[in-house]
Amino acid sequence: MNPNRLSLATALVLTTSLAPLAGAAQEQLSLYNWGDYINPAVLEKFTEETGIEVTLDSYGSNEEMLAKIQAGATGYDIVFPSVHMHDIMFQLGLLAKTDIGSAPGFENIDPQFVRAATDPNAEYCLPYAWGNVGIVYNKDLAGDIKGWEDFFALGKEGKKITLLDDLRETIGIGLIMTGKSVNSTDPAEVEAAADYVISHLDGVTAFTYDSVPQVISGDVAAAHWYVGANLNVSENPDTIGYIIPEEGATMYQEDICVLASAPHKENAVKFMEFYLRPEIAALNVEQQMNGTPNVAAQEMIPDEIASNETIYPAQDVMDKLQIFEDLGRDLQLYNSEWTRIKTAQ
Amino acid sequence: MSLTRRKLLHLLGLLGAPTVFLLIFFFGPLVIMLVYSFLTPGIYGGVDWIFSHLNYGRILGWADTRYEKFDPVYLAIFLRSLRLATLTVATSLIVSYPAAFWISRMRPGRRDFAIFLVTLPFFVSLIVRLFAWVLILRPTGFLNQGLMGIGLTSEPIEFLYTDFAVVLGMTYVFIPFMFLPLYSSIEKLDMAQLEASSDLGATRLQTFRKVVLPATMPGIIGGSIITFIPALGNFIVPSVLGGAKVLMIGNLIEQQFLSARNWPFGSALAMMVMTAVLVLLIVQLRLTRRGEHA
Repeated sequence: MNPNRLSLATALVLTTSLAPLAGAAQEQLSLYNWGDYINPAVLEKFTEETGIEVTLDSYGSNEEMLAKIQAGATGYDIVFPSVHMHDIMFQLGLLAKTDIGSAPGFENIDPQFVRAATDPNAEYCLPYAWGNVGIVYNKDLAGDIKGWEDFFALGKEGKKITLLDDLRETIGIGLIMTGKSVNSTDPAEVEAAADYVISHLDGVTAFTYDSVPQVISGDVAAAHWYVGANLNVSENPDTIGYIIPEEGATMYQEDICVLASAPHKENAVKFMEFYLRPEIAALNVEQQMNGTPNVAAQEMIPDEIASNETIYPAQDVMDKLQIFEDLGRDLQLYNSEWTRIKTAQ
Repeated sequence: MSLTRRKLLHLLGLLGAPTVFLLIFFFGPLVIMLVYSFLTPGIYGGVDWIFSHLNYGRILGWADTRYEKFDPVYLAIFLRSLRLATLTVATSLIVSYPAAFWISRMRPGRRDFAIFLVTLPFFVSLIVRLFAWVLILRPTGFLNQGLMGIGLTSEPIEFLYTDFAVVLGMTYVFIPFMFLPLYSSIEKLDMAQLEASSDLGATRLQTFRKVVLPATMPGIIGGSIITFIPALGNFIVPSVLGGAKVLMIGNLIEQQFLSARNWPFGSALAMMVMTAVLVLLIVQLRLTRRGEHA
């Protein structure tokens, strides 16, 4: 079949580019991660302790990573898929068993973060980090907003708002507001959710990821954006704020997984065990400003992060956060509705 | 006999490499796309080898299943793309034509520098240049600040995330494509012919219509075609300057491959664009031929 033909070319390119690494005698570990998604100090510390040299490559989306691994990219030991991609990769037989769930220190991991349906006992992957998707707003223009209702009301008042250019996130708001699961596969529910978004498009000037600078400058009153906006909030505390909408929101989580094709499986497991240590997870959060599933680590992180309710929400808010599951073919229901939303005006 | 065979071999040697190149890099992908457009999407991207005509049914009107439904919105997006691409060609032509005339009449040193300036934007990444336009066009951007500063407007005007911004951005990006073919045909224009025309009593407008325009027509057609084709399929400009709200066919295709995991539908949409472009090229060929005979 076709993917195999593709894989030959990609494998050739990759083996040639990775060949110099294989020549070195030193112990190796090769990470394939999202861009800027790990504190470099963590990697330095790992090398310092174990003598294992770490190389880091980055990708921009789950789909991109999967496509490369499926096309036969070898040489990588560890990847950081989102939970639904963790499930897909498991089903495609791309992951290696690590038994990290029975490693010493795993008791520090809050069990609610062992989320992948295909890996209920964490025999394969280690929960890495998580965050939510909410609203970043300009304090002068938006006032004190609480949730999606207030957010869309800004648009009706003639102020400008933006939504993410992401079909599941944006239709997800419609599903939350119509009281349905963000993983609904009922065509009528997905259509109703899209209708909700379409009837609230007043004031939506764009579907974009590039919205935080515009919220700061006041070009946009509020924007659908990630918890990472807290970095900008900490730099401009008087100008902007970030909230988790009271009606509910989505969340994301990535796991640390070892590939079945990993050339240094032992080192990869060593890294997972290293990352289980609370002080290491805390070191990562210090720079990344996101959530860690490691309960013991949460007590070691700087107070301004730990006490930030939008990064570490109370349990009742946590319960309102929904995470995306893979929908298989039913993703196509969202695909058509997304086109309808984008051409609605 | 041996002479013709040598000629044949010579010809083969000359044309062999480009033919193989075209077969592999043009015809090959086209066949893959055509085949994919008649298959079923794989759950995790890629394709399942099951025949389906519904990808075209969704666009043209006969699909009605759980996943594949006809929706006139796809044709509407296609028509919008045609409209925006045509507008882009028109504005690039209006800007480039006089500019090419002006530059072709400069003295050589200055002329080379001017042509260098036209191609200069290529040295900077397209994305960076488009984000610069965001800074210019946004409500608190330079353009609105300037307009309000000189008292022309009192409120910021919506420039960003409109059709206007998309056409402006594409015109900006594709002007060199229009300019260079125009320049090469305008440069060849014989000034003596213009003088002869006015000596024989033609008005300036008549000279332009009867002498200048026909002589530069190949440049106009060539420039228009190579501006129109990339403008029709462009997805970066509408996503940055149109806020992904001015959806063009390129965005829809990108969405099928990169976020919706529906390669066959993406391929069917791409085939539709290809067909439109081919029709256009045939029309162009006819037009230029007629021009030569006239």
